[in-house]
Amino acid sequence: MKMSTKKLIIILAAAVIVCLAVWFVIARLAPGGVTAVVSVDGVEYRRIDLSKVKEPFEFTVETKYGSNTVLVEPGAISVSSADCPDKICVHMGRLTGAGVPIVCMPHRLVIEIEGEELDAWS
Amino acid sequence: MAVLTAAALIIFIIEAQIPPLVPVPGVKLGLANIMTLTAVYLLSRKEAGLVLLMRVILGAVFAGSPSTFLFSAFGGLLAWLVMCLLKDRVSESRIWLISVIAAVAHNIGQMIVCMLVVKTPGILAYLPVLIASGIITGTFTGIAALYLIRAVRKMKL
Repeated sequence: MKMSTKKLIIILAAAVIVCLAVWFVIARLAPGGVTAVVSVDGVEYRRIDLSKVKEPFEFTVETKYGSNTVLVEPGAISVSSADCPDKICVHMGRLTGAGVPIVCMPHRLVIEIEGEELDAWS
Repeated sequence: MAVLTAAALIIFIIEAQIPPLVPVPGVKLGLANIMTLTAVYLLSRKEAGLVLLMRVILGAVFAGSPSTFLFSAFGGLLAWLVMCLLKDRVSESRIWLISVIAAVAHNIGQMIVCMLVVKTPGILAYLPVLIASGIITGTFTGIAALYLIRAVRKMKL
């Protein structure tokens, strides 16, 4: 494997750009959805139809790992506070469509919005 | 070896206190991996593995939770395997390249554990960012490791 350093840098830079582009496509262009699913440890905890939410409300997911307060607004869902050490889930902001889920790894909590193709049969 | 373990542990704990720069789970600088890489070169593969193991266990005690332990353990293990495999195949001035591949391996390992833990395929959406961040952070930690290895060698310990 003899490659010039310059070539390696170009290949790696290209890889970074491709990855970020894919990420951007997943995050921005994913199909919209209305059903938010909150799950802990892969088990569904609560399912909310965001199109039927008129008034914002909060609920707390309390598990043996810790607690996260989830804020539900019309068409959006977010984590408003959590007692995990990194608070990444809080910083991730509001989730309005399918694509990238909110994850709180220390608490094994995932909030996803199901894409439209999944409810096609209903 | 004890010095490297201690240094890795301190870096790991300090890094855990820094608020995350990017709101994406799993993305961090991975500065403690500088020490794993340095140990692979200055000591041996086996001792580097021990440095990693000690750092991961002690790091979980001081700065993390049982679940963060799983991620850093599995990710770190994959990164270490990559370093062991590539050590003799890549010239020493290209340590940064090993570091990049190890960082990507680390993040992929982390992702696998993540998938097993939350059992939600949707989190795969994070894979591209994790790979990109691994390439970037791996470059910097690799350069840092290169300077550290050279500096320590100059001291003729």
